[in-house]
Amino acid sequence: MILVAYWSLLFCLLLSLFAGAAAAYQAWQGKGEGLVVLEYAHHAVAAVLTVASAILFAAFVGKDFSFKYVAEYSNSVLPLFYSVTAFWAGQEGSLLFWAWTVALMGSVFPLTKNYRELAGQTRVLYWLFFFLVQGFFMLALTNWNNPFIEFSPAPADGRGLNPLLQNPGMIFHPPLLFLGYGGFTIPACLALAAWLTGERRSWLDMGRNWAILSWIFLTAGIVLGAWWSYMELGWGGYWAWDPVENASLIPWLSATAFLHTALIEERRGALRRTNVVLVTVTLVLCYFATYLVRSGVVQSLHAFGAGGIGGPLLAFIASGLIMTALVVAVGRGEMGRELSGLYSRPGFLVLTAWLLLAIGGVILMGTMWPVISSLWSSQPIGLDAHFYNRVTLPLFLGIAALLLVCPWLQWREGLRDRRGLGIAVGVFVAAIVALALGGMTKPLAMAGTGLAAACLAGVVLVVALDASVRRRRSSLGAWGVHFGLGLVVLGVAVSGPYQFSREAVLQPGASMDMGGYTMIYEGFEERSSEAMILVEAKVRVEQGGELVGMLRPQRRLYQSFDQPFAEVSTVFSLGTEVYATLLGVTQQGAASLKFSLHPLVNWIWIGGTLMCLAGFLALRSRSGRPDDAPTQREQM
Amino acid sequence: MNNAKGGKGIYIAALLLFLGGLGYLLYSGLSGGSVYFLNVSEALAMETGKLSQARLFGTVAADGLHSKDGSLGVVFQLVDKDDASKRIRVDYGGAVPDTFKPGVEVIVEGGLDPQSQVFSASMLMTKCPSKYEKENRG
Repeated sequence: MILVAYWSLLFCLLLSLFAGAAAAYQAWQGKGEGLVVLEYAHHAVAAVLTVASAILFAAFVGKDFSFKYVAEYSNSVLPLFYSVTAFWAGQEGSLLFWAWTVALMGSVFPLTKNYRELAGQTRVLYWLFFFLVQGFFMLALTNWNNPFIEFSPAPADGRGLNPLLQNPGMIFHPPLLFLGYGGFTIPACLALAAWLTGERRSWLDMGRNWAILSWIFLTAGIVLGAWWSYMELGWGGYWAWDPVENASLIPWLSATAFLHTALIEERRGALRRTNVVLVTVTLVLCYFATYLVRSGVVQSLHAFGAGGIGGPLLAFIASGLIMTALVVAVGRGEMGRELSGLYSRPGFLVLTAWLLLAIGGVILMGTMWPVISSLWSSQPIGLDAHFYNRVTLPLFLGIAALLLVCPWLQWREGLRDRRGLGIAVGVFVAAIVALALGGMTKPLAMAGTGLAAACLAGVVLVVALDASVRRRRSSLGAWGVHFGLGLVVLGVAVSGPYQFSREAVLQPGASMDMGGYTMIYEGFEERSSEAMILVEAKVRVEQGGELVGMLRPQRRLYQSFDQPFAEVSTVFSLGTEVYATLLGVTQQGAASLKFSLHPLVNWIWIGGTLMCLAGFLALRSRSGRPDDAPTQREQM
Repeated sequence: MNNAKGGKGIYIAALLLFLGGLGYLLYSGLSGGSVYFLNVSEALAMETGKLSQARLFGTVAADGLHSKDGSLGVVFQLVDKDDASKRIRVDYGGAVPDTFKPGVEVIVEGGLDPQSQVFSASMLMTKCPSKYEKENRG
């Protein structure tokens, strides 16, 4: 089966290259009659890639350790759920998963009415760009990241899945990111093709749902990754500004900027060229994220196998940027209308896009600083978390400040609702005063909390005051996303600066006080199963003599892994969450424990989830004129 | 971005203001957040005065590893990944990560005491045995 799967990938490579060449020839000749062949070629690639993926899935389910990849990421005691999801646990499998999702999405798009209404020449060019992307994937999978290598003789058992990955958060984090990365392929290829031909129909309208869906997946992947870090790694944080975390945030920021400028084109017909650039740069940044993660170009907390894909990826990224510049320069796309003045909703959306892109640029620069600094320093200089916090947090607050004002502006120019803005600003001022009276002293945390409160109040007001918003599903979705963002800002603004941790060695029956809570260590118990041996500490948490909850942090020793892993325990709260990590237990029963208090941390996960769910409401069920087209009042 | 001719001036002014603010933030961030990222051999080749704040990458030696009695923390030798003869003694006082053991790659952040030549670490992280890395596992 390994050979069948590998030959399937080779077949996909050849077919993608031939189809790409055919598309280029047709585009050059200005013909469109071979379109059906291109479409069938793609469907064939998607079908064969599905077969190859199914073979790998079957190998994981059947524990076929003659597949080197299966032997490296699973073993005989791994539960079926994790065996199946180990498909994307490694570099080769995750790339195959990404390529497969791109192929499947590429097969769905031609079935839509939007695709069929495109001009023939635009469709030919769309396939040319799409096959270029797909061809690169196939080249990588058949050369540098081949998931189908045979282990001969096959080992009796595999190495098992890294215990840190044996967590639902981590299992779904990578595929969501890949779905997000993959999804941008369609609007990006569509934008390039439409701009080149000067397509009559709006590519933005046709690619809108794909871009929103991709953004939802990317958001969900990032939020889930942060939650996994908080719940599984035992350090009590969710974001460390590690290059790997930064990698996926950069395309998310450019994608978010694109969604804002796209709104301006959709409503006001401006920024047409900007949107082509932003959506293709977002796709390129998805590949750059992969380059950061897998090339070893910068030191990271995560150890990455370079695997030889760094060079080809960099070449692909450079080609993508050059191609985008060329297409934008020579394309026949219609230039946009004039933009309204700065003191208008489009003006504030542009400012939001600037801020988002600036944050992305800062993170990109900071992540690459060890490489950049080598231009003048013999020793690499890196930037730590202080840099990112100092530079990006004020910019994030700037976005929240824009969100406070933006809903009350007109699309043309000027204020449309003085009362709404007044209430939102009033909430901000009242929140700051209340926080100061409550003893909060950190300026960024106060500003963040105040802005979050004002944004949340603003969104509620917009929905309450404007009947047209309530009538339009996509408008409700957009405001729901912003409400979720307000909750995330609230959680980040408070949980980070006001997190409080202490470590202690406690004898059974001993207690420790921190932040108004009393932690009483009652003892521990040992348990074992086929897959692991574990030690669990029992800690009673009291506040003012009342039981708040029980903490049961564990240390687990998995089969195949000779170091123990901590399983944290929390007492869930929408206020302050109590969090415990068991660092070790002595034979006498004394436990080394780390406790931390995380105020409002759960609002990050609630807000993040709301952002994703509300995003679905923003999807449009029909093409053509948007159902949230500006009302007459907004046009004024 | 293609702006209105009439309104272009205000956008350009806003952009300049924005870039000015961003420049200031970057300047203050770079001056406060820069640290040397060094392998052990690179750190040993530098003047000790420059190592008051640095991030070191290396491997935990099998010998010279001591847990601190009665408290959290560990003392160990950090070895250069490529040259085993290059070593720095590290003293770390916090909770030791689960994956910390001889042979693993770690990242420590802190400063070198020029007298004792011991690197006092305020942060210790083991490289995540990531989903993308096979060699570190098992």
